[in-house]
Amino acid sequence: MAKAYVIVGGSLAGATAAVTLREEGADGSVMLIGAEGEPPYERPPLSKAYLRGEVPFDKSLVRPAAFYGEHGVETMLGVRAARIDPSAKFVELDDRRRVPFDVLLIATGCRNRRISIPGSELEGIYSLRTVEDADRIKAEIGVGRRVVVVGMGFIGSEVAASLRQKGLDVVAIEPAKTPLFRVLGEAVGQRLADLHRAHGVRTIFEDTVAAFEGAQRVSSVLTKSGLRLECDFVVAGIGVEPVVDILDGTGVRVDNGVVVDQYCQTSVPGIYAAGDVANHYHPVFERQIRVEHWHNAVKQGAAAARNMLGRAVPYDEIHWFWSDQYDANLQYAGFHTKWDQLAVRGRLDSGSFLAFYINDGRIDAVVGLNRAKDVRRAIPLINARRMLNLEQLQDESVDLRSLHAA
Amino acid sequence: MATEFVTATIKTSEIPAGGIVAVNVRGTQIAVANAGGSYYAFDDLCTHEQCSLSEMGELAGTTVTCTCHGSEFDVQTGKVLAPPATVPVKVYPTRVEGDALQIEV
Repeated sequence: MAKAYVIVGGSLAGATAAVTLREEGADGSVMLIGAEGEPPYERPPLSKAYLRGEVPFDKSLVRPAAFYGEHGVETMLGVRAARIDPSAKFVELDDRRRVPFDVLLIATGCRNRRISIPGSELEGIYSLRTVEDADRIKAEIGVGRRVVVVGMGFIGSEVAASLRQKGLDVVAIEPAKTPLFRVLGEAVGQRLADLHRAHGVRTIFEDTVAAFEGAQRVSSVLTKSGLRLECDFVVAGIGVEPVVDILDGTGVRVDNGVVVDQYCQTSVPGIYAAGDVANHYHPVFERQIRVEHWHNAVKQGAAAARNMLGRAVPYDEIHWFWSDQYDANLQYAGFHTKWDQLAVRGRLDSGSFLAFYINDGRIDAVVGLNRAKDVRRAIPLINARRMLNLEQLQDESVDLRSLHAA
Repeated sequence: MATEFVTATIKTSEIPAGGIVAVNVRGTQIAVANAGGSYYAFDDLCTHEQCSLSEMGELAGTTVTCTCHGSEFDVQTGKVLAPPATVPVKVYPTRVEGDALQIEV
């Protein structure tokens, strides 16, 4: 029977779901609603090649603009979905139009956390999420211009690297002891701090921004420890929060994003979620996980679409992401929050290593710096949830593939 | 422009099973994959961000994964099997005579 499939969120996850619904033979209409005016695009280039002016925006489109119409996907772009009525089964847009659905996907993603300290309303303070944000930062780029990057998570680290590559004078400030401290820990984080310093970034750790100063436009940043950093502009990357407002009053369970089971379905049958917003049950790690990365948006968007078609395929992808900074390729696979052992293949200070985060004798995750092949070869070892010989993991002469079936 | 088969500087015996090796054929860097005894030739540079597929690629069956960012290609046709790449990789016909590998460029 023909159904109305509606996707809220013109995101990578949403667009991938729409395309997958069509590829897998959805009988009925497929409607994609996106708040941004552009056709769905990928965000990784916004902090890297696009920000540096090396690739045009078109290269970031999930599909060419004309693709959707040609493939039977209706789009409503530049309109925001305002509320959902799960019993009458419609989505109401902010212009009061109503879009009926039989099966609904929430792919609303995240929004940036905002800094709220004295001076945060000054001009010249940016965050990065959309292509418009990237364009505003791009317009500030100039050799010798001074930028303060607030936060050294993925976005802050990548922006610091890109701006340094463009010849700016970069100061990066981070409350933790290292970049990506919470995810990767101190030992690996220190290597990333080294990387930034080697490229001429001035790094300030264990300090935070107390105030932005300036007349109309920011001209300096004052830190809690009392440093005053003169600057021409600021980029803040202090984290994100899932966009769940639309679910108010729907009965859909929300807890650190939209809670979904391993079939990407929410607590309300017929309503699914995927991508950054989805706090999903992961059958390999046997817990709820919410991931804010490209690979999950692609894979979970597709998985949600299959489940929307009634295929009942569990989403059990091992999470994976990359972060290119300068000429270094950082990759991570798996999921960990704590570890009792860090096994390292190669040397942490060598510019090329693979580190295994081991908990209770099992590999929960790996991180590799310039070790892309090893990261990929480690994924089956994570998936296996087995005890492994630590010496073999650390022995460069042992091909990780030889441990897959062992 | 007319194409012709050119004998590569590498012999088939020098390409391990499941391996990918780069050869330079008339100024073009071409990757050759040995997929179960069949040899497939394609542009060495990933169409996403130009990583070398002979260096960064992992071959499984006839699928090459660019481990830099995860793009997957079918080495038989060049077709994109997984993003972020969107543009197919160019493939070149091959033929084997003895242990000589010939690539049509």
